Amino acid sequence: MKYSYYPGCSLHTTAKEFDISTKVVMQELGIELEELKDWSCCGGSVAAGVSHDVGMAMAARNVALAQKQNLDLLASCSGCYNKSARAAKALKDPTEKDRIMAIMSEMGLSVSDYNIRVRNVVDVLANDVDIASRIKKPLTGLKVACYYGCLLTRPADITGWDSPIFPMSMDKLSEICGAEVVDFRSKTKCCGGPILVSKQDVAFDLTKKLLDEAKSLGADSIVLACPLCDTNLELRQPDIEKKYNVSYNLPIIYITELIGLALGIKPGKLGLQKHLVSTKNLLKKLGL
Amino acid sequence: MATKPKKFVFGLKADRQLDGDKMNSDFVKKVVAEGGKSAAIASCMQCGTCSGGCTNIDPMDMSPRTLILMVQRGEWEKVLKSNALWLCSSCYICTSRCPRGVRPSDVIEAVKAIAIRQGIENDSTRFNQIFVELIQKRGILFEPELMQKYGGLEAMLEQAELGIKLALKGKMSPFPDKIKEPQKFSQALEKAKQP
Repeated sequence: MKYSYYPGCSLHTTAKEFDISTKVVMQELGIELEELKDWSCCGGSVAAGVSHDVGMAMAARNVALAQKQNLDLLASCSGCYNKSARAAKALKDPTEKDRIMAIMSEMGLSVSDYNIRVRNVVDVLANDVDIASRIKKPLTGLKVACYYGCLLTRPADITGWDSPIFPMSMDKLSEICGAEVVDFRSKTKCCGGPILVSKQDVAFDLTKKLLDEAKSLGADSIVLACPLCDTNLELRQPDIEKKYNVSYNLPIIYITELIGLALGIKPGKLGLQKHLVSTKNLLKKLGL
Repeated sequence: MATKPKKFVFGLKADRQLDGDKMNSDFVKKVVAEGGKSAAIASCMQCGTCSGGCTNIDPMDMSPRTLILMVQRGEWEKVLKSNALWLCSSCYICTSRCPRGVRPSDVIEAVKAIAIRQGIENDSTRFNQIFVELIQKRGILFEPELMQKYGGLEAMLEQAELGIKLALKGKMSPFPDKIKEPQKFSQALEKAKQP
């Protein structure tokens, strides 16, 4: 299987380890990735709230580029995936199609027929490949809380491969990897990512609730698939600790890193040393 | 003696009632024109499932349910002034749970765009507009520039520690990335922004 891989802005900067681990794990599993040529930002959750057409066109551009490469689009970032999938759906909708295509032809992109699919890396890992038979290093003794956030599985008419209310794909993947999965009730509650900058206090409040629950369940790490969630949970963890006078020191890792470890790939090759909240204790627990 | 304000059968406040005489479909039309898929606003039956699931309802001055009602009633001023627009993090819980397919997230998204076009100004509108402008400029977001444009020197200093930590891990480049033809991209989007 081959995909046109859309990393997006975050995976080239703050979520470098997500980019690295996606590529390494996919290679290990025999899935070929060809980077989407000349990709641009998807506009995130913000752009369509400034202008619907601008937001849709920003996301649709990448779908058109993938169509030109004639490969299904694969995104790791939940946001990039969700917005691309939304645009792909709109491009098949007669009431929306023309508006978006008009803007894209101004950009010099004229693709008229769309038949590619937009996939997320979690969807592919959970539903397309047999990971169980390839586990070389079961993560026995590791307790994880799987956090899905918003855009990975919602809304269901755009995503559709896991429950929008009570998703289980990452829980199952973690169990296959040999980790113990805690019953994380907040797994689909929002971390406040899109409002982090403009409403920081509110976003910190939302993120704190997630960290509190994961910590109270005794999780060694939160496992996720969204760079924006990671920004709140990991990069802003020291700020939240300071604001509320608490201490978490809770490593946050991407699902691809977790799977990579279970596949027997060296932590350094997966980018685990790039985290700001150190993953050393986590790796020590696994004897790595 | 002052007469008690009239209440609806279930004790619903007058300004929360769905009153046929007060309906003004202009707002609904405008929201549909902006967001396209939000056409199901009319089918809202005020069950409140959206508000019940909302992650961030506590600090909102108007719940998602009320917001939909106010859009139905055409209460422009109340909706455009509401902080709920800017506290919504577009997490789609409401949209996933709505039994009538109203898609409150998409309605709010469309209302945000209308509010910005009508000149509503606050930290959120400013951030959102700068965010879009910067993507438009190069096609790829450069976060340090976003921080600088939004928060000025103060924000840059506040974020300096995090920036340095990220740079040391090879996760923050001092140079912005861009797509091949940013001018064409930018012009097309600028044109699309105009109503």
